Amino acid sequence: MRKRILFFILLGWVLLLIGDRVDELRVYQGATLAMYAVGLASIVLLTGYSGQVSLGNGAMMAVGGYATTLTYNNLQTPIWFAFLMGVMVAALFGAFLGVAAARLAGPYLAGTTLALAVGLPAIANQFGFLGGEQGIYFDIGLPPASLGEDFSPYKWYFWIATAIALVALFITTNILYSRFGRTWRAIRGNALAAELAGIHTGQYKVLAFTVSSALAGLAGSVLAMTISLVSPSAYPLSLSFALVTGAVLAGISSLPGVMLGAVILVIIPDLAEVVAHWLGDSERVTTHLPGLIVSVLLILSVIFTPNGPGENLRKHLGHKKHS
Amino acid sequence: MIGKNRRKRTWFATAVLVAGSLALTSVPAQAEVGVSANEIKLGTTIPLTGAASPGYNKLGDAMTAYFNYVNDNGGVFGRKIKLIVKDDQYLPNLAVARTNELILRDKVFALVGALGTANHKAVAKSVGLQRRGVPDLFINTGFSGFADKKTFGTTFPVFPSYVMEAKVMGQFIKDNYAGKTLGLIYQDDDFGSDALKGFAQAGVKFDVSIPYASGSQSTTTAATWISRLATGRAEVVVMFGVTSAAGLALATAAGARYAPQWILGSVGGDATTLRALGVPTAVLNGAQGASFLPSPADTSDEYVKLFQEVNEKYNKNVAFDNNVLVGMNTAMLTVQALRAAGKNLTRKRLIAAIQSKGSTFVSAGLAPLNYSRTSQVGYNGYWFGQYDAAGVMKPLSGGVVVYTTDSGTGAVVKSSFKRPAMPAKGIPTNS
Repeated sequence: MRKRILFFILLGWVLLLIGDRVDELRVYQGATLAMYAVGLASIVLLTGYSGQVSLGNGAMMAVGGYATTLTYNNLQTPIWFAFLMGVMVAALFGAFLGVAAARLAGPYLAGTTLALAVGLPAIANQFGFLGGEQGIYFDIGLPPASLGEDFSPYKWYFWIATAIALVALFITTNILYSRFGRTWRAIRGNALAAELAGIHTGQYKVLAFTVSSALAGLAGSVLAMTISLVSPSAYPLSLSFALVTGAVLAGISSLPGVMLGAVILVIIPDLAEVVAHWLGDSERVTTHLPGLIVSVLLILSVIFTPNGPGENLRKHLGHKKHS
Repeated sequence: MIGKNRRKRTWFATAVLVAGSLALTSVPAQAEVGVSANEIKLGTTIPLTGAASPGYNKLGDAMTAYFNYVNDNGGVFGRKIKLIVKDDQYLPNLAVARTNELILRDKVFALVGALGTANHKAVAKSVGLQRRGVPDLFINTGFSGFADKKTFGTTFPVFPSYVMEAKVMGQFIKDNYAGKTLGLIYQDDDFGSDALKGFAQAGVKFDVSIPYASGSQSTTTAATWISRLATGRAEVVVMFGVTSAAGLALATAAGARYAPQWILGSVGGDATTLRALGVPTAVLNGAQGASFLPSPADTSDEYVKLFQEVNEKYNKNVAFDNNVLVGMNTAMLTVQALRAAGKNLTRKRLIAAIQSKGSTFVSAGLAPLNYSRTSQVGYNGYWFGQYDAAGVMKPLSGGVVVYTTDSGTGAVVKSSFKRPAMPAKGIPTNS
């Protein structure tokens, strides 16, 4: 445990040093990367560990984003409290969803959560206080003056997002390596055998949905901070699909892989632009290439590394050490 | 134990990957960002793909076509304009990401012709356009909030605000449909609340008023709208919503043989969008609408004629519709703004030039431009016309009558504005 704490502190220190030395675009992308890492962790926990397929984590991100924004704007609370409220409200939604989800499995569960991803963000259009299609500002203001005049808002976002991601991943790691994680893996492996072993699978499935939704809510709050806005269109269906895609590419049961998945999601547009440049700088190519790259990577991943490259890397490193 | 070591190594390896992905990049400093001796780099984000792309995806190519036309005729004081177009899919998070790329990596001098209220609210706040001093030219949204100079000091909308549009439409109704039973369908958000504010200022009261939530429009909801309007015997119905809602309302009313006089807001009658939605443009036949530009089918208009020629030569002769017209008109305004800023081009000079000279820029617009040191909103009026079965809006029998107003309590007046003649070959020569 102590080593794990030291590792996360060291990682945080390295990332902050990097954040100090790269340009503002990379700093912004770093904040986005941290957001995706937390979002992907929510999928890994739910699907990779408890075996429940969800296509609706984008909706939980919306719940977290709106709860954080409304708390911050209307109650003028400290930012950390607003984020905490986002986590709590999303967890509550997740618990309700989990109760229903515990009765479903496979494509039925996927279909239900898909409907949630389509419908839930659009509910914001039904209530005036949620800002409709135009959304609500979530402006956390400028960085503290003590950080200096040259300290940009994006660097401030990066610091906050990185700290949040590291704390969230540290807690998630501990949960997954505790008896809860082992129990979820047992349920994923064989639910009937787990029941026979005395595990109340329904309760653990609800718990998995609750924790996963809390993580998704946190990711949604970070997303709202980085774009200074919550609106239904900020949490589209494509976001839910991107999370699942990133999780599959990174290794659906590999928590360390979430960072790899996040990197892939963030750098694909950059990669597409480089390829488009080689192909003659065509806007049409740049526009459609990211989708093509994601599709090709997904197919290659499923064919060659069904558990994801993250999981393969882990095995390879372990094998190398013991050979 | 083995598993723990593997996990530590995997964490370390992924951490190295993350660190590597944030590789150092640096760009040498220059006199003014995005301006060199022979080039001016501009950027825009529009929906090139996704549900909102039909119609809007033509804006980028249209702007590029006009810029290329100007480049072939000497550019702006010898500098050629390069427009970088990025796809935001009409999603705020992508709009912010792509705008960051434009400003921080591509180092564009200014943004031009961005689209969408939610998108641009996110962009302006998150990217900090005002804080960075990035000129944000001729955005395509009528959200009245963008007129707030304190928050959006570098942003210049080109559309009249929705408050202005509703005020003008209110006056048109009072002039032409006094005493009739009035109905209103409006989008229940910032868009619709701007409209309600404008109608209230114009002194127009609706007998049947139907709000709808954005995105809730469907054949079922449209049936309830039409039922309520028919029950209330509304003779004139204003549709202040997006084209998809307007198309559903008109098609449902036609199916129910309910035929009031429809008046569509400026964003509610785009024939290209209707076609993309699978709604026949014939539903627009007879409806009235508002515009500040000439009809794209009016080849007697010198600006339309020029833009059609540019479209043919520089834009693969795509179907010439209102979106192409808006794109080229925006590009023409941009060229004048760049020229007005002078040869020693800076962002500050560009903003000051629009504030001091923007009202004198020539364009296809039939309403005057309203830019000044106190106003950053472009056109300030509309004319009303009638759609034909092909979805083309043509002036009413009395010809083009332009109404103008402001976003405040100012009166609505019939404008005597006479559009300036187009410069030779459509190439601005102002300074």
